[in-house]
Amino acid sequence: MKFLLAFALAASGVIVSVPLFAHHGNASYDSTKTVTVKGTVTDYMWANPHVFLKVDAKDNRGNTLHWIIEAQNPLSQTEVGWTKNTFKPGDEVIVEIIPAKNGQPIGRFGVAGPTAGLATQESRIVINGKQFKP
Amino acid sequence: MPSSEADSKGQNLADGGISEMSKRWAVLIVALITGLTFSPILRVQTAAPQAAGGEARKWNNIPPRKSAYAGKKSSPAPRRDLSGIWDAAGLDAGIQVNGAFEHPALLPQKGGGAEGGREAGAGAEGGRLDETGIEHPLPYTPVGLAALKANKPSGPGVRQVPAALSNDPLDQCDPIGFPRMELYELRTIELVQTANRVIFLNGWYGNWRIIWTDGRELPKDPELRWNGYSVGKWLDDYTFIVETVGLNARTWLDHAGRPHSEDLRVEERFHRVDHDNMELTVTIDDPKMYTQPWLGVNKFPLHLLPSDFDIPELLCSPLDMAEYNRQISNAVLPSRPKK
Repeated sequence: MKFLLAFALAASGVIVSVPLFAHHGNASYDSTKTVTVKGTVTDYMWANPHVFLKVDAKDNRGNTLHWIIEAQNPLSQTEVGWTKNTFKPGDEVIVEIIPAKNGQPIGRFGVAGPTAGLATQESRIVINGKQFKP
Repeated sequence: MPSSEADSKGQNLADGGISEMSKRWAVLIVALITGLTFSPILRVQTAAPQAAGGEARKWNNIPPRKSAYAGKKSSPAPRRDLSGIWDAAGLDAGIQVNGAFEHPALLPQKGGGAEGGREAGAGAEGGRLDETGIEHPLPYTPVGLAALKANKPSGPGVRQVPAALSNDPLDQCDPIGFPRMELYELRTIELVQTANRVIFLNGWYGNWRIIWTDGRELPKDPELRWNGYSVGKWLDDYTFIVETVGLNARTWLDHAGRPHSEDLRVEERFHRVDHDNMELTVTIDDPKMYTQPWLGVNKFPLHLLPSDFDIPELLCSPLDMAEYNRQISNAVLPSRPKK
């Protein structure tokens, strides 16, 4: 019986992975590179046109970079399981992004490939040591 | 609501209450959870993972995925009735981020048409001034092609430019207008039918339109409006046709920057297939810009949602937009070469 119950509860959490398209294209981002940003959340903006996350992360030389990482609009993020409480300042995060072509510490949630930066949920996101699963 | 009670009991069981339950009761709960898991109604509820408990299920509902509607049986359509909350399966199809659904501004993909490209998110390269090479080209007049080139879209497609270089009026929070509200970000709408009009309510950027059904004629020389002037009539018991004129030409037709003039006439055809399903066809007729009329969406499926479905708000705040532009879209522009 416990098995059945566990199955039913697990099944209710099944998530179908499909692309979520960005209303802004990825023209300013390098869609051939995936960068993993590891650092501390300093701010999380839940706003139209794009939700975005700010992360302080150290580069190879130990300097702190102030990353800004954009997702899609709040409604689209809600549809893939994000909420206004997904991140909070102080969280230790590891996130996969595609970087701005101009070298600024700005990125967009996504991984290199044909849908780079257009499909937020392709990124691996770890929050305080736990894999984020909406 | 019974489903939320069943679900919350199920969650409690998982915390360890099962040994105190009678076997029969437990079987019932399991059956309920399993059944509801695959029901579209619960998907609406569980897909809104906000505040804890029942509140998340009552507010800011998220429609189910398009696949949830497949094969679902429906009772017959009511006569001459469009009213209800209708889902355009925004995430799967209604957003139309590459331009009007029937004419995405995408190059054909190997082994498939633009449809395959759209679903793969591919073909999104920018830099072309016109739309040469796209799968379903539009019949531009010379004036139309010049107007197209003047519009700089930021959406993924063959003409995309960085957001900060776009002149999309929506990027300034200008009104989305009609018919762009049906050819871009078509998600969940509500149609309210009264004795003399149909009211079209759209949560995306807070739009509403009145479609008069009292037999009045369209205005001959109207003051232009963002949403135009609309009259509707029943072609038969299940097909409602709307004509719209008097549209302000400051809006784009879609997210790929397709232009229109003040001479634009739009026909919408709402065909109620059965109780739960409707099809929307939108015809663009603008002889100044296009040599012949074309379809923006063609028998595009709309699905009836429960009457207590709470449509989420998404408005365009100029201050939030400016903040986004300052922090991100201006900051990612390519560096200018030093002189």
